[in-house]
Amino acid sequence: MPTEAVLRLGGGCTTTFPRVRGHMVSQALSRVDDNALIREAQRGNRVAFEDLVRHYDHAVLRLALRLTGSEHDAQDIYQEAFLKAYRNLGSFRFECSFYTWIYRIVTNLCLDHLRKRQVRKEDTAVTVNQEGSEYNLLDNVADDRAVFNPERDLMRRELGRKIGLALNRLTPRERMVFELKHYQGLKLRTIGEMLSTTEETAKNTLFRATQKLRGALAEMR
Amino acid sequence: MNCDLVKQNIVFYVYDELADDARYEMEQHLGRCQTCAGELKQARDFRADMSSAPHAQLEPSPNFLAASRMRLQESLETTEQRQGWRRWVFDPVAWLHQVRFAPALAAAIFIFGFAGGVVATFQSRHSGVAETTSTAGSPTEASIAGIREIAQEPGSNKVKISYDRLQPSWKEGSIDDPAIQQLLLYAARNQTNSGVRVNSINLLSQQGDDSRVREALVFALRYDKNPGVRLKALDGLQAYVKDDTRVRDAIIEALLHDSNSGVRTQAIRMLQPVKADSTVRGAFDHLAKEDQNVFIRKEAKRVLGSLPEID
Repeated sequence: MPTEAVLRLGGGCTTTFPRVRGHMVSQALSRVDDNALIREAQRGNRVAFEDLVRHYDHAVLRLALRLTGSEHDAQDIYQEAFLKAYRNLGSFRFECSFYTWIYRIVTNLCLDHLRKRQVRKEDTAVTVNQEGSEYNLLDNVADDRAVFNPERDLMRRELGRKIGLALNRLTPRERMVFELKHYQGLKLRTIGEMLSTTEETAKNTLFRATQKLRGALAEMR
Repeated sequence: MNCDLVKQNIVFYVYDELADDARYEMEQHLGRCQTCAGELKQARDFRADMSSAPHAQLEPSPNFLAASRMRLQESLETTEQRQGWRRWVFDPVAWLHQVRFAPALAAAIFIFGFAGGVVATFQSRHSGVAETTSTAGSPTEASIAGIREIAQEPGSNKVKISYDRLQPSWKEGSIDDPAIQQLLLYAARNQTNSGVRVNSINLLSQQGDDSRVREALVFALRYDKNPGVRLKALDGLQAYVKDDTRVRDAIIEALLHDSNSGVRTQAIRMLQPVKADSTVRGAFDHLAKEDQNVFIRKEAKRVLGSLPEID
């Protein structure tokens, strides 16, 4: 994508919160409380750290689950991310929000995982649960609308399968930017911060990802 | 704006990533160009397709989240924080940040420092003695909070001991007074006396909608060792169950894992108005099948029985 043809991006605040179950306002309000908890945790108060974890762990687990498609891998990433955050909390300097910081850790771990999987050429559609048995995670997603229209449910599953395949064709970085933009609703500026890159690079990556996905979905129709 | 430029930026328009002026120009173009309007429709259809796929609705179940939390808690018990050299370096930015959130403390430090300076200057001028003497008389063991530093003057029998003293104090005021509220929030989290915690939680519950109070009540519900305090915190959270999903999650957690059956029974009662929520339903379903407490199992079945069938 030629850089000169790109329009100027809208300015946003440094940290934009995701639209996670309507939490945007409450997360913004809890920023000050977070800082108090971080200071307590930096003094070695583990209960304060656990409280901090609970502010973000649902979103972290969901991101890991969507990117890995495996409960087992998602839990490993969740565990490693928060342990890493706990060990290195002393170096957190309040230069960005804790939210951006923990997401930076999680996205790095997820990228590593996606890269390793790409080398092994694994398929995410079928996965292994915590008990060790194989199943398709996406088959378990409930859709109340399907109760009234089985045909629609079938089409939805078919579309889901195609989307899954198309997402797997993206590079790890494209997949990550698309996930954070489309499904987590983050601003490109925040995504750039989380991935330790510029807003411009995140923007180009999103452009490439959407072009590839649209092309792949058109091919499959 | 021409068609090429629109084509290359349509995705950022759909994802709300264009500046206002660029957005305006694009809308002007889209209004008069049928081809680009078709491009916009395709981009919107793509976004809708991606959002309606099962992938978009993939959520960790409450049980999976609870299991992940337990595993993390176990690991944290054996994990140490890295004690980097930075911990020992004075960070003026962090210090200023702290002072910003504690104006009373900042004022106290300033007044104390100013008064100390005046006293020290006055004494050194009039007595010619270089060292600073205690301004608080002889210390008694009960009033000492901690010894900061002990230093002996080389070649003499003089010793300098720096220490902190505990100063009993009280504060009187309206429940709406921010200073009173701050003390109540402190008492709710830090007091070792559970009677004090019950009183502070009780008073905080009477406050209007305040995120700090809500946080303190959720904290007490999750971590307080005294079931009476947890019950009081539950009472205080009643008003937020419908609108705040974080409060709801905390109550679900109490319902699933609290060691006290009274707290769990109260949680069942509080979650009844939001029983249609899939997470709440999942929790009740889990309890109805697997809980060891017969009463809780029966109650969970009763709540599930009052729900319309979904599958």
